[in-house]
Amino acid sequence: MRLILTSLFFICLFGCNKSQTEDVINFDEEASQESGGTLTNAMIGEPNNLIAMIAGDGASSAIAGQIFNSLLKYDENLEFEGDLAESWEVSKDYKTIRFNLKTKKKWSDDHPITCKDVLFTWKAVTHPDTRTPYGSDYQLVSSAECVNDYQFIAKYNEPYAPALETWASLHILPEHLLKNEDINNTYFSLNPVGSNYYALDSWVTGQQLKLKANPNAIHGKPLIDNKVSRIIPDLSSQFMELIAGNIDLMSINPIQYSRVFPNRSELNNKINLYKEMGNGYTYFGFNLNKKPFDDINIRKAISYAIDRQEIIDGVLLGLGEEITSPYKPGTYWENKNIKKLSFNPQKAKELLEKSGYHLNNNIYEKDGIPLSFEILTNQNKQREMTAVLIQRRLQDIGIDVSIRVIEWASFVNRFIKTGEFQAVVLGWSLSLDPDQYSIWHSSQQGPGQFNFIGYSNKRVDDLLEKGRQELNKEKRKAIYDEFSAILYEDQPIVYLYAGYGLSAIHKKIKGVKKLSPPAGIYHNDYEWFVPTKFRRNEMSL
Amino acid sequence: MLIGISLISFFIMHLAPGDITSNESAFNPKASEESRQKLREMYNLDKPIIVQYGLWLKRIAKLDFGHSFASHQRPVLWQEKDKNGNIKPGLIQKALPITLLINLLTIFLIFSISIVLGTIAAIRKNKIPDRLITLFVFVGFAIPGFWLALLLMYSLGVSNQILPISGLHSIGYEQMSYVTQFIDMLKHLILPVFISCLSGLAGISLYVRNGMIEILNQDFIKTARAKGLYEKKVIFVHTLKNALLPLITILGLSIPGLIGGSVIAESIFAIPGMGKLFYDAVLMRDFPVVMGILTIGSILTLLGNLIADLSYAWADPRIRRGLSK
Amino acid sequence: MKKIIKNPLALAGLIIILLIAILALFASHLSPYDPNYIDIQSILVSPNKQHIMGTDALGRDVFSRMLHGAQISLLVGIVAVGISTLIGIILGSIAGFYRGITDTLIMRLVDVMLSIPSFFLILAVIAFLTPSIWNIMIVIGLTSWMGVTRLVRAEFLSLKERDFILAAETIGASDLRIILTHLLPNSLGPIIVSTVLGVASAVLIESGLSFLGLGVQAPTASWGNILTDGKEYIQFAWWLSLFPGLAILITVLGYNLLGEGLRDNFDQNT
Repeated sequence: MRLILTSLFFICLFGCNKSQTEDVINFDEEASQESGGTLTNAMIGEPNNLIAMIAGDGASSAIAGQIFNSLLKYDENLEFEGDLAESWEVSKDYKTIRFNLKTKKKWSDDHPITCKDVLFTWKAVTHPDTRTPYGSDYQLVSSAECVNDYQFIAKYNEPYAPALETWASLHILPEHLLKNEDINNTYFSLNPVGSNYYALDSWVTGQQLKLKANPNAIHGKPLIDNKVSRIIPDLSSQFMELIAGNIDLMSINPIQYSRVFPNRSELNNKINLYKEMGNGYTYFGFNLNKKPFDDINIRKAISYAIDRQEIIDGVLLGLGEEITSPYKPGTYWENKNIKKLSFNPQKAKELLEKSGYHLNNNIYEKDGIPLSFEILTNQNKQREMTAVLIQRRLQDIGIDVSIRVIEWASFVNRFIKTGEFQAVVLGWSLSLDPDQYSIWHSSQQGPGQFNFIGYSNKRVDDLLEKGRQELNKEKRKAIYDEFSAILYEDQPIVYLYAGYGLSAIHKKIKGVKKLSPPAGIYHNDYEWFVPTKFRRNEMSL
Repeated sequence: MLIGISLISFFIMHLAPGDITSNESAFNPKASEESRQKLREMYNLDKPIIVQYGLWLKRIAKLDFGHSFASHQRPVLWQEKDKNGNIKPGLIQKALPITLLINLLTIFLIFSISIVLGTIAAIRKNKIPDRLITLFVFVGFAIPGFWLALLLMYSLGVSNQILPISGLHSIGYEQMSYVTQFIDMLKHLILPVFISCLSGLAGISLYVRNGMIEILNQDFIKTARAKGLYEKKVIFVHTLKNALLPLITILGLSIPGLIGGSVIAESIFAIPGMGKLFYDAVLMRDFPVVMGILTIGSILTLLGNLIADLSYAWADPRIRRGLSK
Repeated sequence: MKKIIKNPLALAGLIIILLIAILALFASHLSPYDPNYIDIQSILVSPNKQHIMGTDALGRDVFSRMLHGAQISLLVGIVAVGISTLIGIILGSIAGFYRGITDTLIMRLVDVMLSIPSFFLILAVIAFLTPSIWNIMIVIGLTSWMGVTRLVRAEFLSLKERDFILAAETIGASDLRIILTHLLPNSLGPIIVSTVLGVASAVLIESGLSFLGLGVQAPTASWGNILTDGKEYIQFAWWLSLFPGLAILITVLGYNLLGEGLRDNFDQNT
């Protein structure tokens, strides 16, 4: 008897669910713009603090970026345009920037936005008690003041060319809500008030965050009313949710893009794929303080021995590009004049022999010591696969290579900070401002600093210093062109690839630009909309 | 006992290279080393280990588990009100109920199903039902949990859309009535609980089976049969009750295993429980959270064992009679 | 032994274990390809005549990787269990033989270790050390000895009072001799059972660690990491998920069946 009742219960649970009829709807139909609707995406990590200057992680910045504005932002061509600032002027001696703020704008709680908020934010990020790792750029401002409610002036002791970029990354916070708070511990970080397109509606810890359109948004209300970010730590689960229709967009990997989607027509009926230039590059780095990497011939030999196209084809399935300078391909700062080193194992061998190595049992040796080293990388599938391919190619020409994959925090602390490594496969982001001081200047080699590979070149040092102070765009380009040319000549790292950003977005989200501008397809996400006929029925079980 | 656990945990955590400042901001060229050193001082990470342990013990005594480093001052254990009356939710406070719910459901299901399976196997010892059940239970133990989880997620969640795949609530949860909310949550829990149960079933079912077999061979059962009691009564009343007693202790002992196993299930099913919290905290070197979870986990285990012992004492008539004398 | 043969399930377990052991031993001879041979032209090929189990994301032959993975998974299992059994025997003998404070201390330690969810501990330690195959074996070994300790101690406690032990003591045999030549050999039954079951458990733990990215690392193949590598394309490259999953399932099943069969065997003896 109990058995019957229990089975009835279970049948009811299962039976009370209809499978979705998404396959019948034609999502390719055109539709006109309308407001409303919900966009659901997924994150692998949960934000922990929505005050971006204090939070260190990507998830927090991603959400905070929807809630707050900075003084400046990038337009779709990656040029500066005003965000909270209406306009700005840089003085002739390049030491003063005056920002004219937009007037009559309000925080989402209706309090007016004024220069007081900007000044407060600057004071907070530079205050010694604020627990932020990002203070140093803003400490270069020797004095900051509000001339009136809508004019903010920042003065520098020396001209600082990356300054504008720093003002495009500082989220301006509301002074009236934070002035009496301890910014490190304030409840505001869990329940912020901002000025950008969205405001935080609800946050269910561990499960999801919900943002809703901010009627006071300084650029006007976005079309999509609600954005839900679900926290799904496993990528395979995320992908399944995408297919099941429970999330609307996701960054996918090359195999999902090139192999899974083309084989599943039912997926292509409801999901669009987008490909654009990504935001980072992967490199093979030498520890220049360790033999034999101090010998430029060895580095060049290794560079000739690596088949970069094979890595792009194998790891990225062709969805990436070779680069020769640390700048985003297609942008102003990219140095297109550098001649690429080809894949040439023969030349590699010649260089090794020129340096005094000779083959012994298929491994090159010098003075009885075989040429062998260990590649370290962190737990990142693409980097692991890249290391495996490099290992194979180097082994082909007679260099013995082993690979070690290490969890991130251990990696940084036991190997990078201490300088106890030989070679690494890692990545940097493709910077929008050409300043590369902290990575390549010889003064940045201390433990915890970013020139951990130990690069030192006097001319490069000079160029990097000059580049920071030159605000004229053409002159700056000349400086950095020379910089990247010397860098390529010295081969302290081997640029491996810059992968594409691959996104899968449900077709019901209209308004996504088919051809991505330099700033990426997400740039105009405030213009995306969900036509009513495609909206998910939010009441069904 | 608790001291031992906390000591071991503390030292292992601190053996690890790196600390909270080694997270993402470690490789962000915008974050300077001086700023990170300042952060370290603020968190007392630059003091010697013994001092740190002492400081921690002092606060635990006041039930102050401190604040999470990674989650920027979210309290580890319980929510706090700040001066404006805003409530900051505690990390463990949010994660524990879900893990507890899943584990309690799992224990309950393992208990019930194992008794049934074990009894059948014992009665039909060495015949087909016994062999089948043994095989089934073994297969259940041998399947890698996350593999089965992915297979089930795909077949039940994607291809056929019978069950939800991840998370705890469906979209539109807020608009549902209480009953619907409850059923919704149950549906989300079916897969995770099923996966959790599977490995425990094997051991416990076998235990029940072997226990029953042993008792069935004992004299007092033969006496009961000789007295002419119904076979069913013999089995259920006499044998089962005796076999169950040690079972309670075993279940108590399996609690740490369940808590540990939840890491993988929670990650796949996107369930925000203690396992996921622990894993993230370990990778972020978030000491307060790690110590907090290990301590709470151990307390729960000890509690579980205590309840098991008490239930055992209550259930075993010999002990009960002894006490009442 | 006879009992095992009579028990069809235990027999099946034995056969499975032997089969897999043979496959693992002769992996290099049986593999049609080098398991690390990368073939960019054949990425994610479904099973066909050239690759009977298909290829993975770098074009490596899955069948060859599975065979070598058998070597690795079994190696991890056996060494880890070896370590835990050794520790267990030592601690259990001392506790069971000497009783008193030593016994109490050791059992307290066992209790503490049992109260900390072992997977957490393994996780924490592996995350800190670099996850090499040796570290994994050692860590699993260091967190699984508690069961053996209790078993050995229990056996010693019951055996100690027996006549032949008293006789040995009267003759003046040293403690070590008594332990090694009299007590241990008679306690072998539960130890063997525990060892066999332990291998199964270690294989499962390794696959769980691989899922979290902390198991055997690239480019070495283990069943756990073949599974994990393929999980994001589970609908598309089903062969990457099916074969390793089945392999783990069958192996663990085999060891468990044998182990339980042996346990029945030994139980009936005492």
